[in-house]
Order: sequence, then structure tokens, then C-alpha cells
Amino acid sequence: MSYDLPIPRQGTHTKPFWDGTREGKLMLPRCQDCNRVHWYPRHICPNCHSTNLEWIEGSGEGRVHTYAVQHLVFGPWKEQAPFVTAYIDLNEGDRMLTVLRGVDPNKPEEIRIGARVRVEFEQANDDTFIPYWRVVED
Amino acid sequence: MPGALYKSAAIVGAAEANQIGFLKEPVTALQLHIEAIKNLSDQTGIPISRIDGVFSTGWTTELCEHLGIKPKYIDTTAVGGCSFELHVHHAMAAIHAGIIDVALISHGENGHSAGQLGGRGVSNYARGAGDLSPAHEMTMAYGLNSAPSNYAHAMVRHMHRYGTVREDYAHIAKVTRDWATLNPRAAMYSKDKHPFGGPITVQQVEESRLITWPLTILHCCMVTDHGGAVFVVSPKVAASLHTPPVWIAGAGESMGHGTMMEMDDFTKTSARLSAEAAYTMAGLGPADMEMAQVYDSFTITAAITVEMLGLAKPGEGHLFWKEGRAAPGGDFPINTNGGGLSFNHSGMYGMPLLIEAYRQLSGTAEDGVNGDPGKQTSARTCVVNGTGGSLSATGTLVLLADD
Repeated sequence: MSYDLPIPRQGTHTKPFWDGTREGKLMLPRCQDCNRVHWYPRHICPNCHSTNLEWIEGSGEGRVHTYAVQHLVFGPWKEQAPFVTAYIDLNEGDRMLTVLRGVDPNKPEEIRIGARVRVEFEQANDDTFIPYWRVVED
Repeated sequence: MPGALYKSAAIVGAAEANQIGFLKEPVTALQLHIEAIKNLSDQTGIPISRIDGVFSTGWTTELCEHLGIKPKYIDTTAVGGCSFELHVHHAMAAIHAGIIDVALISHGENGHSAGQLGGRGVSNYARGAGDLSPAHEMTMAYGLNSAPSNYAHAMVRHMHRYGTVREDYAHIAKVTRDWATLNPRAAMYSKDKHPFGGPITVQQVEESRLITWPLTILHCCMVTDHGGAVFVVSPKVAASLHTPPVWIAGAGESMGHGTMMEMDDFTKTSARLSAEAAYTMAGLGPADMEMAQVYDSFTITAAITVEMLGLAKPGEGHLFWKEGRAAPGGDFPINTNGGGLSFNHSGMYGMPLLIEAYRQLSGTAEDGVNGDPGKQTSARTCVVNGTGGSLSATGTLVLLADD
């Protein structure tokens, strides 16, 4: 395996998410009482404080909320610099962090807030696929 | 005669996590916290959203973020097993003072499961949930590992929303350096003191090395060594001293999030709320302030903060510096020591804010040397705002010079 970037340690209640990534699905936690999707996964709905939570398959689509270009980087990502990080507004609601693909880090002014993005998954090891988001045509 | 806190507060419920003991399925400290809090809420009928003070040995911002609450009293006192008794005492004081009504004191520690889960940080003593925190799990893959790598996202959104350009914020770095050149104690006082010290131009700020676009290095604070301390005493003690008092007229605190992913609005911080509390306590408003000391971890931090403190309209914070109002000789001095950008910044800048505010309002801000005019101003009121984490939590003080 050639993936040499940080790989998350899978937690105790996020299994449905990681299982989904292996099948190319973006699984999201939703509250069955207030019907709102939240991200990151909680033990409790941060909106209405119900613990009646479920996992749904998300559309894997969203929009760029904001971004930055990382030049001075420490650790495993150092070799990748410059690269673009972004916060993604999910179509289902709430927000996800990513390294944005399909953009030129040397032309930051050309990256558009509000640009449409789609999720893709990169295999990092035997049981971990990491979600990345890519800018797609409107 | 009873003390001031006598019967000033009561414990009204007590609950535990769903399962405790030697659990077969390992749990995280965070889960134990949340279960106990949910059960306590159910038991008492007090909604979690009603909690306005949170006391825990863990990293309280992470706990609050997980719950989706934004308390106005935050305490992470961690002095060992007795911490929770101290929390009760602190909560009583906060309630007696009228700051909060509902204090949550919470504990979650997986001393048994930690062995099965391995890794670090899982026992949650005086730290967050570590690498088993879901927030960490869903962000650690993406190469953000410094303050500028995070803060730059707020700057981009702020520019997008208000139509500003990076150069607008560069004035903050330039003017703050001007203050540092009046302060011999500032790290960037002069070229003699530091090769990159002395006055800088807006163009130099713009053309300096990129750290995280759009932040160049001169938009970023330094990382230096610094130590400092202040005394806070009763009026009676103050009257007995020969040093001039500076009165704390108002104080407030709040938080928006722990990780930046949970920042609702990248152009606003909780300083709006902590300032409102501080102004209300003081019976004063932004119009009564004559100077400000604000955490300038980055130029964008200072710009957003003066907007949140009600000193400038949203999107216009940078004008304080661009139009010279915050500069030496201006009508509203800001960061008169040279700030975290050019005075000192050791990692946590809250203490230098307090020290400079005290010096200014007590008339003891050092004079310049070699015929320079010095940085002492005539301001009699000062608003101080510290920002912690990733634009996460804020504390605001309204300080007054002695009459």
C-alpha cells in the first residue's frame, strides 16, 4: 500500500461510516426525532439532544464553503504542499473538512466558494477508505 | 456568620452512564460523559440546552461541542480526583454572582476500557478524547496541523462575504509593528533587536512568505518565550497598596466550537456573546471604550474581534488600522505593546493582553527611548478580548482606570 498520509483510527461508534466508505457510500448520522443530519458523528443529536440516531446514505454531493492553500506544512503532508483544504457544505446539511481535489493550489483566486463538489474515496489500508472531495462542473 | 455562598446553590440531580464497571464492550470517556449527562437531563427534566455553565476535568470545549451547547461559564479545573468538589465550589460562586443558573459538572473516564482500546488520551484526565474523539477521527486525515492552517479558512470566508482583499488586513500587521517600534520590550522593536524588526510596509506584509494562503508570515503572530502574571484583589486590599488599581468593570466568556469544522459562521466568533456579557456587567457599551487590547494571533483574528466587540460594523474591522485610528497618535489605540504580531506571542497570548491593559490604564506603559514618543496613551477605558483554540472560545473584560 502506498498511502503514506495520516490514517484515522476508527472509533467505537463510527463503524457504519467506515463500512460505507468501503462500498463507495457516504454514510451520515441523522436524528430520527428532529430529522437533521449532523457531522461529525455524535453520541447525541447536537441539535435537539435526542439519542435516537440512525445512519443514512448521503448523496455524496455538496458545495465549497471556504478553503485555504497549505504551504508551510509539518508531518506526513509536507511532501504534498502546496495543497488545498476546504470545508464542504453537505447537501444534507452540516459541514465536512477535506483536502480538495480538481483545483490548482497555485491559482487560489480561481477556486470558487459555492463550487459544486462530489465525494470520492481513496483506499488507505486494508479496511480504511478516506473521503476526499473533488470540484465538478456546475 | 455564614459566608457569601451560604445556601447560594443546590445539587438537584445525579446520574451515571448507562453501563459502568468492567465493561465487555470498550467505551470512550466521551461516551461515558454523554450518557451520564443525558440521564441527568432525563432525571431532572432540565433540558441539555438549558445548561449555561460546564465544569469538567476534560477539555470542556470538546464536551460542549459534542453536546451542541455554548455555555457562558467554562471551567476545566483539573487537580486530580477532588476536582469535582472544586467544580461545585466554582459553580456556586458563578451562580451566586448571577452569571449562570444551571451548572453541569461532568465526569467520564474509561480506566478499564482504555486498556482494551489502547492509544493515548482515552482516560480523559485534563485532556480531550484524543485520537478516539470522533471530531479528531474525521479531521486528522487532512493535513491541518497548525493555527494558520485553520485560521486561513476564516479569512477567505470573511473576504468572500465582505468583498475585502488581503491587503486590507495587511494594514493591521503594519500598524501593530508601528506600536512595537515604540516598545523596547517588543521582540520586533528594531533591526538591532531582531533582523526582521523595525518598521514594515503594507507591501512587505503582502510579499512576505506564504504560510497558508492567503496568510503570509507577516499576517501571523510570532512564537516566542513569554512569562507574565497579574494580581486580582478585593477593593479593600487595593486601597492598601501603593500601585494604582485598574478596575474590572465587566467580564464575560463564551465559546462557539472546538474544531473549526463546527464553526457555524466563519466570519463571527463568540466574542459577540462574551462582550455582551462583559458590557452588560459593566453597564457600559462599545461607545464608552477608548482603547482595545485584542488577541491578534493573525490579522484576521484582530479584524473579526473588533467587529464582534461592537467597535466596528461587520466587514469593517480592518478600517481601524487602515484609516490609522488604531495607530500611534490615533483616536482609538489597539494593541499598544505591538501585539502578538510584533511584541511577543508564546502560544497563549491572554496574559500579555492583561499586562498591557493594566499598564495603559494605570499610566505605567513605558515611555519610548531615544526621544521616541512612547506608547502610553490617555485612554481611561479598555476592552480586552482573548481568543482561544481555532477561533473557538473567547473571554472579554471591560477595564477602567482609577478615578
